[in-house]
Amino acid sequence: MVPVDDIRARARDLLQSGKVRAVLGYRRGTAGLLAEPAFMTTAEETAALVLDPTCVENLALYLVNEKKRMKHARQSDRRPLGIVAKGCDSRAITVLLQENHIRRDEVVVLGVSCEAGGMVDTRKLNKALRGKVATQVRFDSEGDINVSHLGGSTTLPARDVLANRCLECARAYPLDADFLFGEKVEERPYGPRFTAVAAFAETSREERSAFWDAHFERCIRCYACRAVCPMCYCDECVVDSTSFIVGPTTTADEKADRVRWINRSATRSENAMYHMVRAMHLAGRCTDCGECERVCPVNIPLRLLNTMLEREALEMFQYTPGLDAEQPSLISSFRDGDPNDFVR
Amino acid sequence: MDAILQKESLGRWIAKLQERGEVYAPEFVEDAWEFTKVERGASVELDHTNTVLPAKGFVFPQREVLYRFRIENGKTPELTDTELSVKPMVVFGVRPCDGRATVRNDRVFTCGVSDPYYQARRDSVVFIGLACNAPPSPNCFCVAVGGSPCSEDGLDVLMTDLDGRYHVKALTDKGRDVVNAASDLFQAATAADRNEVSNAQVAALEYPQRSISAMDLVVAALKRNFESPLWDQLARTCIGCGACTYLCPTCHCFDINDEVTSKSPLTGARVRTWDNCQFPDFTMHSSGHNPREDTGARLRQRICHKLLYFVETHNMQQCTGCGRCITHCPVGIDIVRIANVMEEGVWQ
Ligand code: SF4
Ligand code: SF4
Ligand code: SF4
Ligand code: SF4
Repeated sequence: MVPVDDIRARARDLLQSGKVRAVLGYRRGTAGLLAEPAFMTTAEETAALVLDPTCVENLALYLVNEKKRMKHARQSDRRPLGIVAKGCDSRAITVLLQENHIRRDEVVVLGVSCEAGGMVDTRKLNKALRGKVATQVRFDSEGDINVSHLGGSTTLPARDVLANRCLECARAYPLDADFLFGEKVEERPYGPRFTAVAAFAETSREERSAFWDAHFERCIRCYACRAVCPMCYCDECVVDSTSFIVGPTTTADEKADRVRWINRSATRSENAMYHMVRAMHLAGRCTDCGECERVCPVNIPLRLLNTMLEREALEMFQYTPGLDAEQPSLISSFRDGDPNDFVR
Repeated sequence: MDAILQKESLGRWIAKLQERGEVYAPEFVEDAWEFTKVERGASVELDHTNTVLPAKGFVFPQREVLYRFRIENGKTPELTDTELSVKPMVVFGVRPCDGRATVRNDRVFTCGVSDPYYQARRDSVVFIGLACNAPPSPNCFCVAVGGSPCSEDGLDVLMTDLDGRYHVKALTDKGRDVVNAASDLFQAATAADRNEVSNAQVAALEYPQRSISAMDLVVAALKRNFESPLWDQLARTCIGCGACTYLCPTCHCFDINDEVTSKSPLTGARVRTWDNCQFPDFTMHSSGHNPREDTGARLRQRICHKLLYFVETHNMQQCTGCGRCITHCPVGIDIVRIANVMEEGVWQ
């Protein structure tokens, strides 16, 4: 297990010495099973820092949100932010660096390795518990997971409750960290990358179409998937009504004629359009932290869309996002030898 | 009027009601409970935890076509589909917190001016409640906001699970009607049955729930703390999605848009959809100024609407303690904790 005390000590030290303005980490919440994200600004607060299989959130999102917040903040403390990052989260940070969204000296990465484990998937827990909400999980000595819920407890094999992304994770440790906690374990006892999407891609076109129709029908467009994604950082998004600027001289006709790419109605076709736009904008950028799928209240398996495009990026361009901050991003680069002449 | 229904007769009652309209009940789909249209009554088992989406969609759907329009150059605009016709519906398994939400939504949509779309659905839907013998979710706190796991408010029928049979109590005319529709399936309730129901109710109230330490002080605390920096601290991790609001049984804000399908002639529909105070564009002015600029201001609005403004106007909290906004918030923002923090004035 990753030594939590070491992370706490490091976080405390960073805050005490004034090297960072805050440390983004995890602590126990009151809402339920999962640890909650925490902005720690004083050395004392670091005592509450935790790291366990319930620390699912990708905190890289807050680097983006803080940047937006700082833009408006009257007082601006420009010291870097410390951030606890798992492998997948650290790759998200690397993508933000590749895209020049943040600078490397704006963050101090406290990288944590997932060693042989990973993060729990609350959906899998819900399924196993038939909707009862888990209140606590613990790895037992056998490597199984003991789950408590209202009115009882049960033990499940870790494989059955770890997130799919973790089962498929190829690099369960950060590549770019200022401090690394835990071992870099290369060999993991689970399956290869793209297991789930490969199985899905095997099904017939009709089946896939029916599958997505059914799911897009259910999307309520709460945009939790977009809001939680560190790569969805645009100031304006095609789905928002504010992307049309109304000024004093805007006429009624202009208002009526404005292009609305996607209507507000959460109907299947509008929802499908939203998800296609989002998926395409993540091609070669998504690092599979799995957050969009986790936060969806109606359980739309968004990871299948994103890993599909990740696989395309790999197969067509031998590109994996988030490995190297110096590497140009897929979307902004081309090869002289590209077979399509429209590229040149 | 109350009666006893053997559990094995539930399917037959549902089948009887399906002759008159659609029947919905909670179903465990994939990994969560949701209200779905019942195909076979016999498949319904009322052992669900809270559904992800509340029952409000039956009376206030996420999308409502108000009317369709067609405007030809130089001619009078034609409006069609201006009247709503709703099929009769019966919804089983409504938890008491969702029932109490209906009372609040009635306040919003039918007091003073009645919203014809809401009213038409409300008149056509029968809500059959199921008392919670034990809290279905660790985030339940109906008792803290003046409710109870066996509240009858806003329901047409309340069912109580008594080992092997249900005690069924009709509470409104609509409720009596659905029970009478299958009167041969019910037996008269005896004094012993009623005794068992009150025991179940006492036990239900004794189960520990999340609690708000001094609910009567929360109104003053929220007023006092309107400008408090606590809001920014509490909302610092809020990602500004709309999960809490869309899933809330009492959130009722909407937006109206024209969905144009052709330009000449101009045709389309005027559509009402749910809106969400946690989205930045909810309060965005056309000048670009946004009076609720950040997540702190938006969180304050959500909590104050539930626990302060509605209390001031309607003398009841607008939150019924279903716990959905807590359970489904991606980052654990917790209305119960916030109420307690506001009352105590400190966090951490
Ligand atoms: S995907 Fe990999 S790095 Fe991310 S949490 Fe899972 S095991 Fe850890
Ligand atoms: S996919 Fe899920 S999280 Fe995303 S908008 Fe739809 S309902 Fe919300
Ligand atoms: S505010 Fe939260 S707990 Fe209260 S009724 Fe709404 S969703 Fe339920
Ligand atoms: S409180 Fe939670 S659910 Fe609500 S907008 Fe913020 S992050 Fe989303």
